[in-house]
Amino acid sequence: MLKIIYGVLMFLILAGMGSTAMTESIFPYKYIKETLPNGLTVVMIPMESPGLVAYYSVVRTGSRDEVEPGKSGFAHFFEHMMFRGTKKYPGNVYDSIVTSIGANANAYITDDYTCYHMNFAKEDLEKVIDIESDRFQNLYYEIQPFQTEAGAVYGEYRKNVTQPFALLNEKIQDLAYDVHTYKHTTMGFEADIKAMPEQYEYSLSFFNRFYRPDNIVLIIAGDIDPVSTIELIKKYYSSWKKGYVPPMIQPEPPQTAERTGEVSYPGKTLPIIDIGYKGDAFDPNNKDFIAALLLGDLAFGENSELYKKLVIQEQKVQFLGSGIPMNRDLPLFEIYSMVKKEDDINYIRDEIYKTLEEYKNNPVEENKLNDLKRRNKYSFLMGLDTPDHVAGGLARFAAITGGIDVIDQLYGQLEKISPPDIVSAAKKYFTKERRTVVVLKGVKQ
Amino acid sequence: MKTTLLSTLCIMVLLMTTTAIGEQKNSHNNSVLLPVKNDPTISFRFWFKVGSQNDPAGKEGLANITAQMLTDASTAKNSYEQILDKLYPLAASYNASTSMEMTVIYGRTHLDNINDYYPLFLDAILAPAFKQEDLDRIKSQVLNFLENTLRYASDEELGKAVLYNEIFAGTSYGHITSGTIEAVKSITLDDIRDFYKKYYTRDNLVIGLGGGYEEVLLQKLKDDLAALPAVAPKSIAKPTFKPISGLKVAIVEKDAPATAISMGFPINVLRGTKDWYALAIANSWLGEHRNSSSHLYQVIREARGQNYGDYSYIENYPNGGRLQLPPQNVCRRQQIFEIWIRPVPNENRHFCLRAALREFKKLVENGMTENDFNLTRKFLKNYVLHYAPTTMERLGYALDDKFYNVNGSHLELFRKMMDEITLADVNAAIRKYWQTKNMQIAVVTKDAKSFKDALVNDTPSPISYATPKPESVLEEDKEISVFPLKVKEGNVNITPVMDLFVK
Repeated sequence: MLKIIYGVLMFLILAGMGSTAMTESIFPYKYIKETLPNGLTVVMIPMESPGLVAYYSVVRTGSRDEVEPGKSGFAHFFEHMMFRGTKKYPGNVYDSIVTSIGANANAYITDDYTCYHMNFAKEDLEKVIDIESDRFQNLYYEIQPFQTEAGAVYGEYRKNVTQPFALLNEKIQDLAYDVHTYKHTTMGFEADIKAMPEQYEYSLSFFNRFYRPDNIVLIIAGDIDPVSTIELIKKYYSSWKKGYVPPMIQPEPPQTAERTGEVSYPGKTLPIIDIGYKGDAFDPNNKDFIAALLLGDLAFGENSELYKKLVIQEQKVQFLGSGIPMNRDLPLFEIYSMVKKEDDINYIRDEIYKTLEEYKNNPVEENKLNDLKRRNKYSFLMGLDTPDHVAGGLARFAAITGGIDVIDQLYGQLEKISPPDIVSAAKKYFTKERRTVVVLKGVKQ
Repeated sequence: MKTTLLSTLCIMVLLMTTTAIGEQKNSHNNSVLLPVKNDPTISFRFWFKVGSQNDPAGKEGLANITAQMLTDASTAKNSYEQILDKLYPLAASYNASTSMEMTVIYGRTHLDNINDYYPLFLDAILAPAFKQEDLDRIKSQVLNFLENTLRYASDEELGKAVLYNEIFAGTSYGHITSGTIEAVKSITLDDIRDFYKKYYTRDNLVIGLGGGYEEVLLQKLKDDLAALPAVAPKSIAKPTFKPISGLKVAIVEKDAPATAISMGFPINVLRGTKDWYALAIANSWLGEHRNSSSHLYQVIREARGQNYGDYSYIENYPNGGRLQLPPQNVCRRQQIFEIWIRPVPNENRHFCLRAALREFKKLVENGMTENDFNLTRKFLKNYVLHYAPTTMERLGYALDDKFYNVNGSHLELFRKMMDEITLADVNAAIRKYWQTKNMQIAVVTKDAKSFKDALVNDTPSPISYATPKPESVLEEDKEISVFPLKVKEGNVNITPVMDLFVK
């Protein structure tokens, strides 16, 4: 079914409300979404650009799907293997095609999804659809290159492991989760990375279960004609058989008590404190969740009272920030700070707690909330300036919801959040029972 | 009212274009203009002709801190906190980028917010307050970077910093932008005031303005900036560096989980000249940044799984680990050729260094093949299309064109040259600018002494793999493992990591 949304020009009828309401879309481009019979979802966003197209293949599988013991980091490793080619276009041929068209191509992985992206000139669209549809359906590699690539992944781990935040994230996720796969990072545990060369058979099964059309969203933005583009998509992707097998991800039981931990960084660093609270999965209809998205910025953003106090006035910390992520399952809502003196760690921690208590007890000033809403709108709009930025900015939404219609829902709900909603979110999420606190300290002074 | 505003801005974005069509770059002596009809944003890039090369002796890091004292600190009218409050709802900011020869104050705002944004941006440049508390905060951040982050958090960035510091030791390029620990500690408000007075002048400024601005804004900018003093500081000569003799190796000793390697030598060729584009083709084939088409990547990562990537450069490319495409406004009159080997297993460091130098030598001696040449120039002709999709990036390139005196646009010339340059041009450029005998190498590793001994003795460095490899790879490994580097003992120095960037 071809669904056309005319962005600002179209009024959405919210039939479920029993009356006719008018809403505007914050998303400024009209887009076309179509789902093929095999389940492949295609979102096309024509926009003016100098003959350029961004082509994003969003696989709704990430490190979250690594359910088997000993397989942490495998989705990331598999992202590497996707560049190994097929019988029709072996890796070196695939590479030379990408090179000859001068495409800017790469991939990345997160907890919830894996994204393969390519920017190229519009005249190469069919060539790109050909090679991309081919590797997603017919990936083929021998055991030797598979094992060699495991070495490159280990190299990536070694490159990252010198960063304090790599160790900190590893620790807080491991400590905060008991059974859910958010227990491990996207990179995975070192022991599992070391064992990757032995997982050839598993990699074939991984491909069969997850790299299926019904688990993938294509986002194509830029200088495209949607009618001819969807015809090409059908031509090249229709033969792909559905067959996604959802992983059995164990839900994380509610946390009942605070957890604390320390981690030693083998180099020299100022201490970092990371405070995580079990949050909620992304749901635009969950008012508490939407309010929490705003609360993070209000309480710990760069014009928050605490930021001004700790960073600018007292200068006790190098930085203070928060992360309220949008995830398929329940993530950690985190507040973190790099502290200048070890003796101040507890003071900083208590200041963060005190701030959260204030938000539980006192509604935020209306004008502060409005400033943030305005900021979010402009930030979103100013980020939509190139096909790559548009497609890239939508990838997570496509991954966690299967499409991008949710953008309007999300911004509609954000607009409605009131000061009492912020109080409610603060009370719900930022409790001692949901909390995990990790402090990282450098070994060398 | 709010609803109307939102509708208006949405429609404006709907009409927004990122196309270069109909866009004309106007370059005058002190301004570069890039009007983009229908762009709902305005981009500013103010280039002051000053950089780390202008840091006074003993005050290394002053250019960087002065720039931050404009953009991350109070002004005469607003405290830093007030500025953050005012910028916040606009989702706009302004920042400073200081490199060796350039300081650029840049920012972007939505057209709707220009009246709120403009006075803040201009105040930052015209009326900085230079308060002690701001200086304390900024110095603390720079010192944390020098004392901790750079020494410990990213060995590959550390290796690159050491490479540049070694090659340009004793010259105006001889320290990184952040400076040194002792110098930064010594910087006072008076130093900053003097530096600002000397370099932040009307005649030392190129105004870059792009996007959907109206003519009246440009005039206002010119009128307002007339408040800056008119004097232009004396320009300084480009650095005269000490020639490198043989392979020189600077080893940074630390308890590193893997070995980071960078190497290179100065080259006298700049963008805008035909030779540069010819060399760019050879360089792209040898080591296109973060691209699997890189030959070094193919040899070290793809065939042997030794690391995450291997690349080469003919222009300075800071923050390579974070960027996919080249940055703007980091121009230098003196460039180096540079090879970047991402961290490799400590036990294979000697082998990987040999592999990289052997491939480079083969290219220098044999030149490119017709096939590789054709594929690479075709690649580059399209690839440069991705270099500057936004107005802000194109404005950056336009300023760079001015720095390098490029006749027209570097990005357009780049594409044109890909049609004109011949294989003979490329191979001639390789012979003219590249050589393999004299090179500075920077290595971050542990057990530095044993590595030094292995280098000096040209000890064979056989490699073994945990998993099987094709016969062709194993055969080539035998040659790589005894590839002579001929490093002289006096050419190797070992520095403990804690001794770096001190003064």
